[in-house]
Amino acid sequence: MKVMVCLKQVPHQDARLDVNADGTWIQDGNIKFEINSYDTYALEEALKIKDAGEADVVVVSIGPDRVTQALRTALGMGADRAIHVKDDDADLSDTLGCAKILAAIAKEENPDIVFTGFMSDDGNFSAVAPMLAELLDLPSATGVLSVEVGDSLKCERELEGGALEVVELPKPCLAAIQTGANQVRYASLKGIMQAKKKPVDVKTMADLGVSDAGAGAVKAKIEKVYVPPKGDSAEILSGSTDEIVGQLVTKIKELGVL
Amino acid sequence: MISFKLTEEQEMVRDAMREFAEQAITPIARDCDEASSIPADYIDTTWELGLVSAQIPEEFGGAGERSAITTAIVLEELGAGDAALAIAAMAPSAFVNAIIDQGTDAQKAQYLPAFCGDKFHTASLAAIEPHAMADPANPRAVAEEKEDRFVLSGRKSFVLFGDRASEFLVLARNGSEVDAFIVPRDAEGLTISEPELNMGMKGLTTNTLDLERVEVPAANRLGGDQGCDVRRILDASRVALAAIMTGMSRQVLEFCIPYAKERVAFDEPISKKQSIAFRMSDMHIDTEGMRWLTWKAASQVEQGLDATKAASFARSYAAEKTMWIADNGVQILGGHGFIREYPVEMWFRAARTISVLEGTVSA
Repeated sequence: MKVMVCLKQVPHQDARLDVNADGTWIQDGNIKFEINSYDTYALEEALKIKDAGEADVVVVSIGPDRVTQALRTALGMGADRAIHVKDDDADLSDTLGCAKILAAIAKEENPDIVFTGFMSDDGNFSAVAPMLAELLDLPSATGVLSVEVGDSLKCERELEGGALEVVELPKPCLAAIQTGANQVRYASLKGIMQAKKKPVDVKTMADLGVSDAGAGAVKAKIEKVYVPPKGDSAEILSGSTDEIVGQLVTKIKELGVL
Repeated sequence: MISFKLTEEQEMVRDAMREFAEQAITPIARDCDEASSIPADYIDTTWELGLVSAQIPEEFGGAGERSAITTAIVLEELGAGDAALAIAAMAPSAFVNAIIDQGTDAQKAQYLPAFCGDKFHTASLAAIEPHAMADPANPRAVAEEKEDRFVLSGRKSFVLFGDRASEFLVLARNGSEVDAFIVPRDAEGLTISEPELNMGMKGLTTNTLDLERVEVPAANRLGGDQGCDVRRILDASRVALAAIMTGMSRQVLEFCIPYAKERVAFDEPISKKQSIAFRMSDMHIDTEGMRWLTWKAASQVEQGLDATKAASFARSYAAEKTMWIADNGVQILGGHGFIREYPVEMWFRAARTISVLEGTVSA
């Protein structure tokens, strides 16, 4: 069985984020990056299938040189090989462009299962996974909390209000994994050391025959990135605990929220 | 020129170990100290990281990636989570590395594969002796050659995981030389004490070994007929301790900085007081100094150079400064520094304990 896992490298959760000079993105030249947290759960699902039997796990990412570290980390965790789309123009793609590039790889790799994260920590679009499934004409599920692999892929999905849903997808298929779906393993020292011996294929959009992604194909353009100004409407209550509670109850009653 | 830039692989190792320390070590450190034990699932999880097997040659089942500098980076990160748990994670390394570096082919084939399996397996270095002016490089324990055997007598303390180690690498005087001998735990004449009751790093099990005319085959002498250089064993061990102490010191500093910024006294955060700010600056400088001395010694070990002086400098400096930094951690927290609700009293006890492992500061 072949499992393809789509990984995105995103700014580290502890990184200090400052808006860049032209207000179109963050200053990302000197900050730490990590694998998108949702994608680590997707990778873990793939590695669990590998642990249970025969599976070739291929990790795929789009981005500049620094993305190699995310791919090497995934290889250190147990993935078998990696594909790195390193192409300056590909980096400028919107979600649809990314989905097209990933679809081109999936058509070459022909995986039985594609795992992605449910969304990315930075963009928060939750768009690439369903777009990718559509481009590949694959059945798909999003918000997946657990999978059961057999002749098909049984997925438990998270719905609103705490409800769950179980769907069964014939293979090949795509599942977008939710955080908390599993216990993500740590990259081992032995695994990291061995990762350098595992293959990382570097491709461009031209190699993949993709011409309708990148900057020229962007449909959703980022107009402005900014930090909202601090509001001045906060009121700090003071006094003893009993006094503060009394003031708070009065405020709540005044606002009529209860 | 010298570059302190880590390789991409070393950065990955550092990040992975930092994540592991933050998620799997720091949260359980207090409980381990209070319970004087380390949970089995922690040991199992660390084993899965391949910290020991990564260094073992591929022909014996490892990854064959030995680097003293990378090991120092790993130990600093684990030590920044908790010193006792860091030592527990790497406990078999002293034995394993001695076998890799100085063992005969037969010794490598006999002992190394056991450390590459799925289940935790450990063996320990028995270097420290429980008497005044003890020097691991000049032990009182003796080995008498008797036909095709050696007869060992002496006492060793602070032996890690004495309760479960399969073998002990015992340093003993052999005539005018000092050698290391592999002693199986079931050897006749070997008595393993109950766990020692220590002041700090209480989760870590250490035991005393009494060797009363313990006989081992001559083939159990590390390096066979040629013997070994015990200084190389001690050098690696001292670099490891220095790296852990660097992590410990960083841990204290990283806890104190946000505390001092939030703790208000006389209408301003105590971090604004020069007496506190200068103290923390010195703590930072000393931690950096510990790291560079450790890396220099590790570099010499890695290059196969004589590292005894560099390793001793690194350990001695780290031991002294770790105690100073931990003491200042308590001081900066004031009353919070000695109550168990905060971790600095635990780190203070740990600093005092680790600083006397393998000899005192002045040894």
